[in-house]
Amino acid sequence: MSSFTLQHLPALEARAPTEEGIVQRLDPRMRLVASFGFALFVVSLPNIAGLMLALSLALVTGWAARLPLLITARRVLLVDAFLIFLLLMLPFTTPLAGPSDHMLTLWGQPASWSGLWHALRIVLTSNAVVLMMLALVGTLPAQGLVQALAALHMPSHLVQILALSLRYIDIIREEYARLRTAMKMRAFQLRRSWHSYRCLGYLLAMLLVRSLERSERVLAAMRCRGYDGRFPVNQPGRLSRLDWSFAAGLTATCGLIALLAFEPDLRWLAEVH
Amino acid sequence: MHIVDGALSMPVVAASSVLAVGGMALGLRALNVDRVPAAAMLSAAFFVASLVHVPVGPTSVHLIMSGPAGLILGWAAFPALFVGLLLQTLFFGFGGLTVLGVNTLNIALPAVMVGVLARPFLMSGNLRRTAIVGGLASAGAITSTALLVALDLWLSSQAFWAAAQVILVSHISIMVIEGAIGAALVSFLRQVKPELLMAPLRATADRKTRV
Amino acid sequence: MQMGEQTRTPYTEALLEAKGLCAGYVGADAVLKGVDLALYPGERLLIAGPNGAGKSSLLQALVGLMATDSGSLYFRGQPCVSEADFAALRCKVGLVFQDPDDQLFCPTVLDDLMFGPLNLGQSPVQARATSLSILAQLGLSRLAERVTHALSGGEKRLISLACVLTMKPEVLLLDEPSNALDEENWHRLVAILRELDQPMILVSHDQQFQAALATRVLRLRKGRLQPLDTAEQSQAGQAGQAGVQPQAAVA
Repeated sequence: MSSFTLQHLPALEARAPTEEGIVQRLDPRMRLVASFGFALFVVSLPNIAGLMLALSLALVTGWAARLPLLITARRVLLVDAFLIFLLLMLPFTTPLAGPSDHMLTLWGQPASWSGLWHALRIVLTSNAVVLMMLALVGTLPAQGLVQALAALHMPSHLVQILALSLRYIDIIREEYARLRTAMKMRAFQLRRSWHSYRCLGYLLAMLLVRSLERSERVLAAMRCRGYDGRFPVNQPGRLSRLDWSFAAGLTATCGLIALLAFEPDLRWLAEVH
Repeated sequence: MHIVDGALSMPVVAASSVLAVGGMALGLRALNVDRVPAAAMLSAAFFVASLVHVPVGPTSVHLIMSGPAGLILGWAAFPALFVGLLLQTLFFGFGGLTVLGVNTLNIALPAVMVGVLARPFLMSGNLRRTAIVGGLASAGAITSTALLVALDLWLSSQAFWAAAQVILVSHISIMVIEGAIGAALVSFLRQVKPELLMAPLRATADRKTRV
Repeated sequence: MQMGEQTRTPYTEALLEAKGLCAGYVGADAVLKGVDLALYPGERLLIAGPNGAGKSSLLQALVGLMATDSGSLYFRGQPCVSEADFAALRCKVGLVFQDPDDQLFCPTVLDDLMFGPLNLGQSPVQARATSLSILAQLGLSRLAERVTHALSGGEKRLISLACVLTMKPEVLLLDEPSNALDEENWHRLVAILRELDQPMILVSHDQQFQAALATRVLRLRKGRLQPLDTAEQSQAGQAGQAGVQPQAAVA
């Protein structure tokens, strides 16, 4: 159906991992559910130690998925770039919990340890979730994603919108690239100018117009092949033993992490909270 | 603009997700069977638009174009923008998984609102007026999104108040850029394909009888 | 005949010259494997070759839109190396794309025509005047206010040429310009191209087009440019004589 994977998109000029790890042998449904479950689990972890362990688990899974190191690192850092100012600001904007909470004072502004830990918790959480998602779902082929979401009872129209956009994103992106090349040929450079913005607006509008016209042709062709609003998506087979072992392993590891994170006697692991 | 996992409090995430699901349901119900391919194709086009990076100061920002999406798609902007966000999250790790509903609501709700408010004024008057309405709608959608993001942060923790202010200020340039691009985009559509601005997903729905 | 390099006087300076150009796509066989090419004033050089031979890639490489692996490029004897060189080159060498829909993106014809001059720094008033004069020159003034997207295929082709001409290029590169043109627009295009002063490189596999316009023909084969073999050459020769007598004298 579609050959769309992340490598087709320009923002990251990345290539999908060519090597097949054990993760790639898992059922797409399992990979989706597992990464969503893991995200919910990580968000509810109370302290740094638990989050560190969760991040390690995500790292191991990323390694098992043979995620390309540099590209993944850059992607995670890109997410972190959004977080940096949070990290810098939170210590100063979080009120001191007591005299022992005082970390340092800059330009008359006191910074608190609790703010720093709060910021660190956010960074660890988001990185653990992103890494696990890139490992489990980012390595999925497009049709795997569509099938899995359909099998997990996503509404049919939404599945169709997803499937058709995945099919046509590449085509529209190439159309955009060709138009941009032709604009470059006529000495266009994207600058901070009204001229640039106007031309970009025209260009995007042209893409929309062509997309709509293409959708009319696609609909006609689909009708010619008996489309009546239902959209056949291959039903995936049963989950394999590997899938269940993975689920069991992941649940057990998360349980262990939860035990360490929530267990009062083990709080020495996380004297900060 | 993307909120990440772990930043917001549970009640904010839960409430936003419920509202987002409601918006999606309305959007999907507004979608006639025949217009599913159109919605999908426009969703793909808006996704491509969101990959466009525009220089701002020393860095660059990527476009969102939620205002035009709302003007063109109406309530169907909810599922269309959701699909874009889902792909960005799943394949690139932008945004977060547990906050998918939050991000969808923050971007799609303003889109739908400016669509409802501005669409009646798009086709009346001259081209200049169309461009101005389109520009205001695009800038307005971004402004509202930034406000919603700030609100989410503020509701989650008082310590985020300063961060929320920074987000608002840093979005001023993005509002201007989206407004300028949106103005050109809408004036193009008025000249080339006015159907797109006249609720295409409803207007062409009666085609079903013809096909 | 005027075709051979060896008969050219050594004093004529090549406008655009490529030496040993190699280029290709990542993970595929190289498309260009050492292309040598020189375009002289007054020439209409036609490059023939089967589909997929790399003709379009060659044009893209000539203006730096496609990265080259090795080889060098000169415009008026000056080497083009950096992206800045190519950006300047693209203001002087106009490329008309194979598919006009890749090129035309503005709401109206006049907007599209003004795009290039505005990028070159002309004021909106100047750009408008330039554009209208080009339209008049090509006999297309009636199209000025039309919506570009709604033009016929042939009209789009002519407008995409006009868009490049508004930038007053010194050299023209045309990629399959006669593709999908009806009889009337075909003749119109040939007439327009014959009237133009700029030397040009035409990529085409249209025999009649070659006969009507080309002053010299090269074939792109296995990644290199070669002169036509004898049988083809005599054919091309006749065509050149029938089509463009005055140009033959220039070389």
